[in-house]
Amino acid sequence: MSTLVKLEILRVLRNRRYLIFTIVMPVGLYLLMVSAYSGVDTLGGVSVKAYFMVSMATLGTVSASMNTNATRIALERKSGWARQLRLTALPGYGYVVAKIAATAASTLPAIVITFAVGHAEGVKLSAGTWLTLALVLWVGGFVFAALGVALGYSAGPDSLQPIVMIVYMALLMLGGTYFQFTGSMANVAKWTPMALYNQLGRVAQTGSSVSSGEIAAVAAYAAAFGALAAFLYRRDRKEA
Amino acid sequence: MSTSVEQVTGAARRGPGSGEVAAFRNVSKDFGAVRAVNDISLTLYPGETVAFLGPNGAGKSTSIDMLLGLREPSSGSVSLFGGTPRQAILDGRVGVMLQSGGLMPDVKVRELIRFACEIHPRGYDVDEVLRTAGITELADRMVDKLSGGQEQRVRFALATAGDSDLIVLDEPTTGMDVSARQAFWAVMRAQADAGRTVLFATHYLEEADSIADRVLVVHRGRLIADGTAAEIKARAGLRKISFDLHPAEGPDLSLLNTIPGVGSLDISGHTVRINSNDADAAVAAIYRAGFYPRGLEVSGVGLEQAFITITGEQDAADLSDLSDRSDPAKENAR
Repeated sequence: MSTLVKLEILRVLRNRRYLIFTIVMPVGLYLLMVSAYSGVDTLGGVSVKAYFMVSMATLGTVSASMNTNATRIALERKSGWARQLRLTALPGYGYVVAKIAATAASTLPAIVITFAVGHAEGVKLSAGTWLTLALVLWVGGFVFAALGVALGYSAGPDSLQPIVMIVYMALLMLGGTYFQFTGSMANVAKWTPMALYNQLGRVAQTGSSVSSGEIAAVAAYAAAFGALAAFLYRRDRKEA
Repeated sequence: MSTSVEQVTGAARRGPGSGEVAAFRNVSKDFGAVRAVNDISLTLYPGETVAFLGPNGAGKSTSIDMLLGLREPSSGSVSLFGGTPRQAILDGRVGVMLQSGGLMPDVKVRELIRFACEIHPRGYDVDEVLRTAGITELADRMVDKLSGGQEQRVRFALATAGDSDLIVLDEPTTGMDVSARQAFWAVMRAQADAGRTVLFATHYLEEADSIADRVLVVHRGRLIADGTAAEIKARAGLRKISFDLHPAEGPDLSLLNTIPGVGSLDISGHTVRINSNDADAAVAAIYRAGFYPRGLEVSGVGLEQAFITITGEQDAADLSDLSDRSDPAKENAR
């Protein structure tokens, strides 16, 4: 089991897709957004530089789950590797656990690198806050790791591509990754998974309190994505 | 499974040689209205090398999937080493090489095989497995950069990464050239000689003929023959008659069509080839008709021809017996 986790991590780190979507793209977009918003001081209650530092770190973790992991699972189901694994002494859940573990291990460097760039750009936080923020973003990433697993089992690799694109774009647009909605749309958007994820990141910085509604919503998303992943995984195994 | 059944099979397993490796008991599998596997019963015993033959779509892969617990039978039961297939796999008793067994990309061959060795409860040393499978020189290659034949050898290494009692190979030599195929079977024979039970599905009949000591033939989901290659050839009852005719001698060639017991007749140039289910009568009739055959040879047919004959017989039986109730066990006993 631990061998598989090690191997999966190695694969992710060797993968160019991971490097682009999880590290290069968030860092590049961060620098772009900061300069695009150069006339604005604060956004969502924090400085523009801190705002985009969080939303680009979350972009990285979500990309790792959606673009890398979901696609991988779909491809490996099609190629028969997932089936071959079922003929080893590996426990049945081992494959999914290894995938999620590898995703989690690969998002950590993405978070750290984005933070380093944010720091270089002038984001000032206390050591404790940096640590809490990293932890919140890393743990929050598991919610999307579950969604990534569910998507990976939802369709074959060809039809999955557009599904991932649509879900991914919707998450980012509604989640305030690039901009924040104003007016009535904002009231809807703030309850979407990515918006809550970003909100947790801002709360970790400002130290303001989280509403119980937000906590409940995050827990509900985690439970829903987890249940969906478990359901689709079982359906897949039945089909052999 | 009830306790008493488990005790019985558990006791049977302890007796070396007397146990059963795998058992199908009246196993059927339906996909919607299609019956892919139809009431198959069979038992595999320790140390056997068994070929699983059948045309594409005959039910080979579905049967192997059920043997390995990847699919559940619609009715009947499957056991491996007296327990469930899943338990046998968790215990590391089965090594499997699937036809469509994709490999993990973005890793080196050695990394992949090391994983297989570590995950197996009685895994071998990785270098030993690489050497046995003949892929030591591929160890540092990326899995994604292998040719089809090389991939097959890596799959074989995955199947033999540990001390398993049964090795299941689904179309193992597909994509290999002739020399790779020969090398593969040499390695496979060593596995069988080490006392392992080997089950392989193939549609290369010469492989079944030369390697297996037992041949199972499935056709349209049914087990229609179970015996040694020689028995199956004898059951088909066919003999091949070949000779040359001098064109200036003897009666018209069309007279050959009236010869009794002729299954198929092939005339090319001066050479006549006949498949006959009664070679003695056919040869006598050829002389009676006034032919003067030169270089007459009568020989047994290969497994391939026997295979075509018995599957053809089965098709004919299916047509005449629309109720479709013939018993495969009775069929085998014939």
